[in-house]
Amino acid sequence: MREGLLCGFRVVDLSQDIAGPYCTKLMAGLGADVIKVEPPEGDPSRRAGPFPDDIPHPEKSALYLYLNTGKLGVTLNLECTDGQRLLHELLKDADVIVESYPPDRAHALGISYSFLQERCPQLVVTSITPFGQTGPYRSYRAHEINLYGAGGLMYITGDPDREPLKMGPPLSQYGAGQNALIATLCALWQRESTGEGQHADISIAEYNLSILENAIAAYTYTGHIVSRMGNRGYGRAAHGIYLCRDGHIGVVAMPDHRWLAMSEIMEREELRDSRFQTRAGRLENADEIDALMLPWLVEHDKEDIFKRGQEAGLGFALVHTFEDLLRCEQLVDRDFFTPVEHPEAGRLQYPGAPFKIDDAEWRTAPAPLLGEHNEAVYCGRLGYARQDLVRLRQMEAI
Amino acid sequence: MGLPLEGIRILDLSWIWAGPYATKLLADMGAEVIKIEAARAYDWHRGPVSPAPGAQGITSYPDGVPGERPWNRSGWFNSLNMNKRGITLDIHTPLGGQTFLELVRISDVVIENFRYGILERLGFGYDVLRCTKPDIVVVSMPAFGNSGPWRNYIGYGVGQELLAGMAHMTGYPGEDPMKSGINHGDPITGSHAAIAILSALFRRHRTGQGAFIDISHMESSVCLVGEYILGFQMTGRNPDRMGNRHPAMAPHGIYRCRGEDQWLTIAVESDAQWQCLCEVMGRADLAKSPQFTDVLSRWCHQDEMDSAITEWTQRMDAGEAAALLQNAGVAAAPVLTSRGLLNDAHFRARGVFKTVTHPETGTHLYPGMAWHMSSIKNKPYSSAPRLGEDNSYIYSELLGMTRRRLEEMEQEGVVSTIPQERRIT
Repeated sequence: MREGLLCGFRVVDLSQDIAGPYCTKLMAGLGADVIKVEPPEGDPSRRAGPFPDDIPHPEKSALYLYLNTGKLGVTLNLECTDGQRLLHELLKDADVIVESYPPDRAHALGISYSFLQERCPQLVVTSITPFGQTGPYRSYRAHEINLYGAGGLMYITGDPDREPLKMGPPLSQYGAGQNALIATLCALWQRESTGEGQHADISIAEYNLSILENAIAAYTYTGHIVSRMGNRGYGRAAHGIYLCRDGHIGVVAMPDHRWLAMSEIMEREELRDSRFQTRAGRLENADEIDALMLPWLVEHDKEDIFKRGQEAGLGFALVHTFEDLLRCEQLVDRDFFTPVEHPEAGRLQYPGAPFKIDDAEWRTAPAPLLGEHNEAVYCGRLGYARQDLVRLRQMEAI
Repeated sequence: MGLPLEGIRILDLSWIWAGPYATKLLADMGAEVIKIEAARAYDWHRGPVSPAPGAQGITSYPDGVPGERPWNRSGWFNSLNMNKRGITLDIHTPLGGQTFLELVRISDVVIENFRYGILERLGFGYDVLRCTKPDIVVVSMPAFGNSGPWRNYIGYGVGQELLAGMAHMTGYPGEDPMKSGINHGDPITGSHAAIAILSALFRRHRTGQGAFIDISHMESSVCLVGEYILGFQMTGRNPDRMGNRHPAMAPHGIYRCRGEDQWLTIAVESDAQWQCLCEVMGRADLAKSPQFTDVLSRWCHQDEMDSAITEWTQRMDAGEAAALLQNAGVAAAPVLTSRGLLNDAHFRARGVFKTVTHPETGTHLYPGMAWHMSSIKNKPYSSAPRLGEDNSYIYSELLGMTRRRLEEMEQEGVVSTIPQERRIT
């Protein structure tokens, strides 16, 4: 029978921003039962674009739609006692709670780990915050750019002699969300033998400093501070992003022993020059090599260049635009994109599972409308009457 | 309490970063990871057998000295492979292959990131491994996955941000696309691999079923830009390269501070925070200026606003300025270097870096676990394995091999611990 790998687990998701919702999106995709809990006015990501035709609409935010596939959605006001009672009823049967409040705020809302541990000892509590649950910065605010800076990634991104640069997409938050899921699954695994939940404390800044490649060891081993290398990193020539006829292409002249293929691909005899036969020699003459490649590159299209490189055994890479990605033959052939029909936002192609596991199900139900599953969850699972929902709504508890 | 993943055994054939990153995360959580290398094909991150004088490459030797056995002294390798066991085993040889299957029989997971089809050609495809161990979980992660027209294409870490659309939306405004200072695709795909492994182990626990996990680095990375995939379909536009600016927030950027190459990041999300920023800077005039009162005005006047902010920051220490702003409720953080990270009071208080002694490099600080768990206090760290360090434990103790068999393997070079010079690409 096709079923999700994580079917049977129950998750209550109080998290906002990106990290927590991506963590629980993956759980939902893998078959866990995820209830996304939003404040009555809706999750802040409903206000984040892009929106269809640039018209903001709470049910049509691309960020919200993408991050919340496969989840049930309820509204709940954690600021009032009724809301807190509902949450604790939800948590009785839950395996996991994922939250992203600043630690002091979580305490005030009655969802701190110490409070939850007493009442629901089986619960795995996953907290994802910019700087973690302890330490002097635990209450600091941070957006992606601050996290990229504080975690050491920004210092090494950008051109030498210019200001450091942030990545365009919010990769720190997504990556921390991935780590949060690994931590959560480890805690659930341990619970199989101990019967007890525990607290997973994820700091987004710490995720960043854990993926600095060799930067930490370069300093501790040699005192060298790795800095910005721009488009010419890793001590290599012909190794970066170049202009071509219809956009940009990643020329990656690797592996080294296939260097001569470059002259055939680019129809430039001069690239066989004896000075270019070693990696060090190529680096020394990197500008000259660029000048030899460029006239050919600007006369050719990126997909053509990419394939010529690959067919010659070189690791060329396309600089894909989002338009390119949607029609990329490799992604299409593997059925990576999945159409999802949403009642308000319509039918769109969504990225599918990050990995394929034989016949296991990957769930892609559309993101919930605001409060869509209030009745199913509060009446169907917790046993409240519909009239109770009216009262709770009037009290602004849901 | 023991570590969460105690009792899980992972055979790790992977090299470089993505695969070893996945197994690092699982090893830190207590899984027994057995890293398999061969004397003639060991992890690139160990660097060459005889490095060219002065060439550090990506390795970093202690004080720049490669030493007698440079392959055991690479800082990058030693950071990424702590808490793992390491053996040498040449699975291309009949004896090596037979031994590999004996290890598969007592393991839970096999992970590899060779090019497409390599393991199958060596006679260790999923079907063979499954015959040996019916509930084995196998992870295969070639650049573009195990099917499709590009399956034979190769991918290095450097290409993943380009292929996944990330580079196209990264760069200084109006200039070419840019990639980051690291190969983001590797930790992204490594994390997805770890998630896949644990999820498959839960199913195995429930149903007894093993799994074949097929991961394409490109697909895995595209999952981290999902909103832009949807956004393109909604607007027909690719996201702009905005440098350090933000589509909605202003101010939002990086500001030069006192000292050489010192920077402060600031992100203001509301009018109230703008007022706080002005107060901290002592600029009541800016706070009152109609050019900057609301987000739309600020967004339209970012150049003037950023110059005004820089007037203040360039007199300030980045760390002190960040603390002043945070205390006033404004999101701000210095741009930390590796040294800055190691010396930072917060990261020190949280014990983020661990002191580990390696027999051939001495005592250094390393990044420890990437998150904290309430059940794990002061976890002991073991240094990354020297090439073949755990041969004796794995072959004699774990597999119970006779001395004669081990000698035979040594004679045939199957478990040699003397690496041969090889092409490091």
